[in-house]
Parts: sequence; C-alpha cells; structure tokens
Amino acid sequence: MNTLVNVARYHPVDRVTYLALPWGIMTFSFLVNVVIASLAPPTPHGSYTGGLVTIYVFLLICGALSMTRALPFGLMLGVSRRTYYLGTALLVAVLGTVYGLGLTVLQVVERATGGWGLRLHFFRIPWIMDGPWYETWLTSFVLLVLFFLYGMWYGLVFRRWSVPGLVAFIAAQIVVALLVVVAVSATHSWSGVGHFFTTVTALALTGVLAVVAVAMGLGGLTTIRRVTV
Amino acid sequence: MIPTISATALGRRYREQIALDDVSLTVEPGTVTGLLGRNGAGKTTLMRIITGLEFPTAGDLRVFGQVPAENDEVLRRMVFVREDQAYPDLRVEHAIRVASWFYPNWNADLARQLIEDFDLPPRRRIKRLSRGMRSAVGIVIGLAARAELTLFDEPYAGLDAVARQLFYDRLLAEFAEHPRTVVLSTHLIDEVADLLEHVVMLDHGRVVLDAPADDVRGTGMTVSGPATAVEEFVAGHTVWRRQRLGARGSVTIADPLDFAAQSRARALHLTLEPLSLQQLLVHAAGHSADEKVSA
Repeated sequence: MNTLVNVARYHPVDRVTYLALPWGIMTFSFLVNVVIASLAPPTPHGSYTGGLVTIYVFLLICGALSMTRALPFGLMLGVSRRTYYLGTALLVAVLGTVYGLGLTVLQVVERATGGWGLRLHFFRIPWIMDGPWYETWLTSFVLLVLFFLYGMWYGLVFRRWSVPGLVAFIAAQIVVALLVVVAVSATHSWSGVGHFFTTVTALALTGVLAVVAVAMGLGGLTTIRRVTV
Repeated sequence: MIPTISATALGRRYREQIALDDVSLTVEPGTVTGLLGRNGAGKTTLMRIITGLEFPTAGDLRVFGQVPAENDEVLRRMVFVREDQAYPDLRVEHAIRVASWFYPNWNADLARQLIEDFDLPPRRRIKRLSRGMRSAVGIVIGLAARAELTLFDEPYAGLDAVARQLFYDRLLAEFAEHPRTVVLSTHLIDEVADLLEHVVMLDHGRVVLDAPADDVRGTGMTVSGPATAVEEFVAGHTVWRRQRLGARGSVTIADPLDFAAQSRARALHLTLEPLSLQQLLVHAAGHSADEKVSA
C-alpha cells in the first residue's frame, strides 16, 4: 500500500506537468473566451465555448507521459509494473477528485456571477454538466479519470510497440467503432440508439463513461505486463 | 544459504539475435562480482532480467530464491544503476528525494555526502547535466539505497578519473561497513580489478569464464627471453600468443606455473610476467570461440 502511495507521489514531483500546465492552459483558454465574450454582441442564451476540453486533453497527455517519459525511472525504483500502474491509477483518482472539485467550484462561481458578468458558460456544459454541484463533481471526476487512463494506455502502447503499435491501436479503435455502426445498421436499431440518447439521464451517461474508464484501466494494466525498459 | 542470484540455462532471444544463450551462474551473498565482456556480450540484458525489467525466453532465474519479474518483495531489495538510465524532467534533488521514498535502507546522510563529493548541483534539471554528472546521480542513488543487491551497469560513463576513483573508494567503504551483494559491469577492468572477488565473463551471450578473481589472476603468464629457451620452457603448456623479435621471444601461456616451474624459469634467465585481469580477459574473449577457458 505504502509503495502505491509512493508511486502516486512520484509523478506530481514534476509540478509543471501535473499542476501548472493543465490549469495554466485552461486559464489561458478561459481568458481568451472572456475577451471574445466581452467583444461579441450579446446573445439571448449567452455563449458556450467548449474551452473546458483543454484540461481533459492535457490530462490525456499527462497520462501518456506517466507511462513513457516517467516509466524507466519509476521501474528503477524497485517496483513491479503492476504496482507502478496501480500507484499511478491512485494518483489519477486523487487528481480526478481534487481537479473535479476545482472545476465544480468554478462552475458554481460561474452560475453565481451570471457567467462572469458576460453570460459566458465556460465551466457549465449543457445537459452533461448542468445538474446539481455533486453531479458536476461526479461527472468531472469520471471524465478526468477516463481521459488520464486513456492517455496511459496510449503511452503504454507506444512504449511497447512504438509508432506502428500506435497506428494499429488507433486503427483498431476505428474498426471497433465501425463494427458497432455496421451492427446497428444491420439490425435496424438506429431508432433504438436515438431513443437511448434522448432519454438517458446525465447521471446514467456518467455511469456509462465510468464503465468505459474501467475498461481503459484494464486495457492499460494488461498492456503494461510485458513492457520492458 | 540461498544464493543471491542463480541462473539456470537462461536464454534471451530477440527474433534472429541471441542476446543470452544457456547462461548458468550463481552469485553468493556478500560478494562483489565483476560482470565483464565486450559491447553486445549480453551484460546489460542479463542485468535487466535480474532486475525484472526484461523477460527471459528460456531457462530460469532466481533472485533471493524467487523469480524477480513482477515480484515487489524481491524488487524492493535491489537497486539497478545503469548507464542509459532515462529520467523524467526532474531536478537532481527531486530524483534523489523520490528514490529515498522507495528504498527501505536509504541513508540520507550518505546521499547528501555523495552529492557534495561529486559536486552535483542539486537544483539543476537532470536533462541539463553533463554525461558524467548524470552518471553521478545514478551512483548516488545506487550507493545511498544500501540495497541488499546492488547492480551497476557501466555506472561511470563520462566520469573523469578523479570521480571514478571516488566511486571506487566509496563503493569499497560502503561495502566494508554495510556488506551487500554487488554486481558491477564495466569495460575498465584494470581499474576495478582489486575490488572484484568473483569474475563472470560473457561473450556473445554465453558465459566464457566464471571463477574467483584470485584464481583468474593466477592464470596466464607471459614468458620472455631468448627465443629457444622460451620455446623449450613452454613446451607442454597451452599457448595463447607467440611473439618474436629477432632472437628474443615472448609467449603467453594459459595455465598457472607451479613453484618448481617458476624457479626453473629463473634459472634459464627467463622473465615471467603475470597477465593483468584485463589482458587475461582480452585473451579469454579471443579464445572463447574454440573452448571454454578454465581457471
């Protein structure tokens, strides 16, 4: 257990990558949107930006770095691959909780200030992150963890099979998506899919994303087993 | 007593290339073993398998009696300092601090002392360090960890002679005060010759020599003097090398000379010169293709 905590502490020693960059880039994206919102003519529903995606994308990058750049020294420290992976996953859970809470607080402030006085909806995303604060926190947590674990899996595939592996990994995902589309078409179930997405609650979708996150974690854990450094 | 390392018919193959072939060896606890051999002989591959970073494709490897791969109990008891160690973007002090969390016997005072001795700038980013200084970071971690099994793979690439001597001195002092099992791979054989208790030599992935260093030192002798007398003297011995310059000859023989033979050589006015460990191993590497060198 103690070793897992040590692995979790190892990554954020690099404060720049794990603290300064994700929040710095998101703040930059936010400020750009503030300037644009203050210049643009007011719209009845205010402006939605999508700029929040920057923090998720950056966590994906953090995940990839944790399994590439940080791996050789991590494995020098007398831990098994499994412990290294699980320790990093512990960090992911902590980061998801803390950063998710940060995003939730910012959303609360955004609502309270009428969208920063500009009707700017940066931290509030219609439907998926639009419920009570604890739902926003939960969904943020699941998404942050999902992106980080997804990044870790990319990093491990790269570490193990290099660029050809990465290409095959992406191609495999496209093939899976294609198979789903073909299967849905062949069984004439598009109306069912449409029905699912129009009736599903934000919370249920969060549950689906959590299942995807667990699948990413298991995929990464399987991939790291034979990685060599 | 359970050997610290025991390999049985260990093999590692990468597609066409054989990195390790039928390697069997034992490293006893509390010894300093030199793992020697040319570039590409398989030293690093062997050490990576010992530390669980690589997987064997044949045979069996045990460390402290257990398979090391994915075995936290075994892995935490060893430290591996390698020439090509890659570090994330950290400062020197950060890397040292992180290492201190993981090793149960870590000694912070020793780490501080070594950083000072090697003149390492604690706040500098590791990627901005020179080659030699980056090696020094690994050495600090390797020694301060005080791990039961300490493996050094060419740990001083880029280090100057003064720093290398510092490393040898520190290693020896540490070893005396806190005995542990050390495996040291190096090309600078004569520099470490006095430190080694046991020598294992690899060539093309095979063990060509596995013997106590003292036994190895006893073998191999260069006999020189008048060519005819030299030839007469070495008759019956395994000859490794013959050189002739005019009437003078010089022959390197592979087997040890007993006391009687040595006094006979003196009576014939022949000069006897024992081979250094390095010269011996150069010969061993050259002859390994034909036969296993016996020591």
